[in-house]
Amino acid sequence: MSTTYAVRVEQLVRTYRSGRETVTALAGVDAGFARGTFTAVMGPSGSGKSTLLQTAAGLDRPTSGRVWIGDTELSRLSETKLTKLRRDRIGFVFQSYNLIAALTVRENIELPLRLAGARPDRRWLDEVVERVGLGPRLRHRPAELSGGQQQRVAIARALAARPDVIFSDEPTGALDSRTAAEVLTLLRSVVDAYGQTVIMVTHDAGAASYADQALHMSDGRIDRALAPVG
Amino acid sequence: MTKLALRLLRHRPGSATATLIALTLGVLILMAMGSLVDAGLRHQPAPQRYAAADIVVARTEITFTDKEFDGETTTSRVRLPEPGTVPAALVNQVRAVPGVTAVATIPSTRPGQVEAILVKAGPEVDRATLDRLAASASARTFAASARGRAESSAATTALDLLVQVGASFGGYVVLLVIFVVAGLIGLSVRHRRRDLALLRAIGATPGQVRRMLVAEAGLISGVAVALGLPAGLLATGWLHGELLSRGFVPASVPIGPSPFAALAAALLITLVAMLAVVVAARRATAIRPTEALGEAAVEQSKPGMVRAVVGVVTLTGAFSAGGFAAGTGGMTAITGALGMLYLFVTAVALLAPWINSGAARLLAPILTMFAGTSGYLAAANLRANSRGMATVLTALVLSVGFGGSVWFLQDNLQRATVTQTRDGLLAQQAIAGPADLDEVRNRPGVTAVTGVRHTSVLIKIFDSAEPVSARAITPAGATDTMDLGVVQGDLAALAPDSMAVSELQASSNNWKVGDRPEIWLGDGTPARLRVAAIYTRGLAFGDVILDQRTLAPAPFDEVLIRADAPIPGAVPVDALTSQLATDMATSAWLNKLLVAVMIGYAALAAANAMILAALARSRELATLRLAGTTRRQVGRMVNAEQAALLGVALAIGGVIAAVTLTVVVHALTGSFLPYVPPLGWAAILGGATLLAMTTTILPVRRLLGVPAVKALGSRE
Repeated sequence: MSTTYAVRVEQLVRTYRSGRETVTALAGVDAGFARGTFTAVMGPSGSGKSTLLQTAAGLDRPTSGRVWIGDTELSRLSETKLTKLRRDRIGFVFQSYNLIAALTVRENIELPLRLAGARPDRRWLDEVVERVGLGPRLRHRPAELSGGQQQRVAIARALAARPDVIFSDEPTGALDSRTAAEVLTLLRSVVDAYGQTVIMVTHDAGAASYADQALHMSDGRIDRALAPVG
Repeated sequence: MTKLALRLLRHRPGSATATLIALTLGVLILMAMGSLVDAGLRHQPAPQRYAAADIVVARTEITFTDKEFDGETTTSRVRLPEPGTVPAALVNQVRAVPGVTAVATIPSTRPGQVEAILVKAGPEVDRATLDRLAASASARTFAASARGRAESSAATTALDLLVQVGASFGGYVVLLVIFVVAGLIGLSVRHRRRDLALLRAIGATPGQVRRMLVAEAGLISGVAVALGLPAGLLATGWLHGELLSRGFVPASVPIGPSPFAALAAALLITLVAMLAVVVAARRATAIRPTEALGEAAVEQSKPGMVRAVVGVVTLTGAFSAGGFAAGTGGMTAITGALGMLYLFVTAVALLAPWINSGAARLLAPILTMFAGTSGYLAAANLRANSRGMATVLTALVLSVGFGGSVWFLQDNLQRATVTQTRDGLLAQQAIAGPADLDEVRNRPGVTAVTGVRHTSVLIKIFDSAEPVSARAITPAGATDTMDLGVVQGDLAALAPDSMAVSELQASSNNWKVGDRPEIWLGDGTPARLRVAAIYTRGLAFGDVILDQRTLAPAPFDEVLIRADAPIPGAVPVDALTSQLATDMATSAWLNKLLVAVMIGYAALAAANAMILAALARSRELATLRLAGTTRRQVGRMVNAEQAALLGVALAIGGVIAAVTLTVVVHALTGSFLPYVPPLGWAAILGGATLLAMTTTILPVRRLLGVPAVKALGSRE
C-alpha cells in the first residue's frame, strides 16, 4: 500500500533543545505524497515546514515517528546507509548555497553519481542538461552564474540520479520574480515530462500555484490537509 | 575522493597553505635534528690509542637490569662518563683464546685493573669466546671501524652530545608540530562546515568525507615533505658549520645528508598530519547535512564533560610535574621545563572554550566601557565563538609561555652558576691545571690549598642511571678554599668512604646525612658512600663532592689557593669566573638556538591561526556592515576582540611561564625569584602584541575593502 506513495510520514515528532527549553518543531505529522505529484508545503516561518522536509528527506532524524521513501523505512538505517539512500533516491534543491564553488557546472551535476561510484548515464545527463538549458555553461564555475542559473544546476544535479523524489526548500527564495517563474516552470516540467515526484517548501502562494496539491502547516502540525491547488 | 580533495584544496588555498607551512618547517627541523642523531649514532671515530689493535676489549657502558611488576626484565645501558676498566686477570684468559697472536694493555691507575686490552689476531680468531670473556667483565669487544667507539675522546663526547640534543629537541619539536598541525587542520575543517555539510546532503557518506579530508592531509604532507627535505638539507649544513666553528663537534665528525633522517622526518610528519586529520575528521563526521540549508534551527554542540575533566586533570598534572622536572640539572632541567610547559598548554588547549567564554563574560563591561557598541559586539563575538577561537588562544599562549620560560631559564642557569661560583670561592687564586700541592702549600702566605678534579658519577634514576657532574677534592682545608653553602652535616668529615651532595640531588633522591646510597663512579665502579654533608651551591661545584682518594689517581684540573701573597703560576679567581661565564655562554648557544626555533615555530603557528580566523569572517563582517555598522565600528570591534584575546593569552601565558620558571629555577638555585631581563619582558609583550595585531588587522582591513554586498554572496 505504501508503494503508491513516493514518501510517507507517520506520527512524526521532532523536538530541539535550546538551552533549558525544549522547542517542538514537529508535533505529530502524518502525510503521504503520491508518485508523480508536485506538492507545496506551506506555512509561516517557524511552522515546522522545513523540519518536515528535512526529516522526510533523511537529512535529519525525527525524535519519534517513521518515514518511508518508497517502501524503505528510514528510522533503522545507519548514517552511511541513510546517506546512500539519499544519494540514490532523493534529489535536493536548497534555497541557496547549493553548489560546490570549486567544481564546474558539469562536475557539480555529476557529483552525487561520483560519490556513489556510479558511471554517469551520458544520454540521460545530456537530456537533463538540455532540459535545464545549461548546455553552453557546463565548464563554468558557480561564481560565474546568476542565481537562477545556479538553481538550474541544482535541479539538474537533483535529476541526475533519477531519484524517487526531489525535495526543495524555498528554491526561489533568493530569486527575482521572473527568474523564480522560470525555475518553477522547470520543476513543473520535470513532473510532467518524467513523472518525477517533487515536494517543495515555500511560504509564497505564487510559487505554490505551480504545484498539484498543497499542505498547510502551523505550530508543527498540519493545519489544512493535502488539497489540490486551485 | 583524492581528485575531489585536490579540487577543493586548489579552490581554498588559505588553510591548506597554513598547514603546509607548519608541516614543511616541521620536516625541516626534524630532518636537521635527525641528521644530528644519525651522525651521533653511526659515525665511527678513527681509533687513536687503540689503532694498533685488531680487537679491543674495553668497558664503555654500564648495564642496569630491572624486573618489572609483570616479571619482564628491562635492560638499559648508559655510557660511562669516563673510561671504564676491565680486570687485569682477564688479560691471560684473552691471550689463551685461539687465534689471538699478541696482547697488550692500556694501564689504569686503578689497582688490579686495565683500561683496555689490545688484541692482535688473525681472521680465524674465536670471536665468540672473546665476546663471552668480555661480557663476563661487563665489557665488550670492538673490532675494525668500531674501535674508535671504545676510546673516550673529543669525538665520542661530541657524538653523545649530538644524539642527546637531536633526540630530545627532536622529540619536543614533534610534540609542538602535533599541537600546531592539529589546531590548523581542526580550524580548516571548522571553516568548511558548510561545504562539508553540502557534500553530506547530496550524498557523501561520513566515510567519504573522512577519506576526502585524509586524502587532503596526505597531499599536503606530500608537498611538505618535498619542500621540507631540501630545506632541511640546507639547515643541516648550516647547523653543522655553526657547531664546528663554535667547537661543539671536532672536524673529524661528519654531519651530512642523512637518508635515515630524511625518511624519519618524512614519515613522522606524515604520521602527525594523519593523526591530526583523523581527530578532526571525527568532528567533521558529526556535521549534519541540514547545516547546509542554513535556515532551520541547528543545535549548537557543546564542548563535552570529558574534555573538561581531562583538561582539569592535565592542569593538576602540570603543577605536580614541575617539582619532578626540576630534579635534574642543566640541559635536562630545560627539557623538564619544556615537559611541564607542554602539560600546561595542553590543559589550556582543552579548557580553551570555557576560558574564552568566561573571559568574554568577565571582559564584556570593560570592552563596552572603552569601545562602546563595538566593544559590546566584540564581547558577544568572543562568547559566541569561544570554540572557534580556542586554536588562536592556544597558539598565543604557547608562544608567550615558551618565550617567557624556557628562554629565560637559560639566562637564570648562567647567572646562578656564576653567582654561586663567585660567592662560593674563598680562595683568591687558582692554578688552572695540575700542580704539586705540597710545594704550593709550603709557599709563604699560603693558608690553604685544594686540588680539584672535574668528574662525573652515575646516580640511579628509575631503572636506569644518569650522569651527574661531580668534583673530587683534597678534603684537608677545603672549607678554607670553598664555601659550598653546607646546610647539613660537615664538609670537614669528607673521607674516602663518604661524599657531599647538593640539596637538589639530596631532595630528589631523598638522601639524608648519614645515608649510604649506592652510586657509580665515572669509570663504572660501584661505590656505597655515606652522605657527609648537603650543600646548596650545586650549580657551581657540581652535584656531588668526593674525596679524591675515592677515585683512581689522576692529575688535578685546577688547584684553589688561599694566600695573602701572589703565587707564581696562579691567576686571580676572578679570571676563572669570567672564563666560566664565557664558556657557559658558548655552550648555551645551542640551547638558545633550539629554543628560539621552537618559539619562532609557535609564533608562526599563532600567526597562521589568527590570519585564518580573520579571513573566515568575511560573511559575518559583511552582515554587520549591511546591518548598519560602519567600517570604523567594525574595525574597532575587531581591535577590541583582539585586545581581549591578547590580554587573556598574555595573562595565561605569563602565569604559565612564571610558574614554570619559578618552579624550575627554585629547584636549581634555591631562589624563588627568577631573573628576567627587562628587555626580555619587553620583547615578549611587544612581540605578542605586534603578532596579534598585524595578523588580524591586516586581513580584516582587506576584507573591509570588499563591498559588503559582494562579500555576503561569497563563500565563507
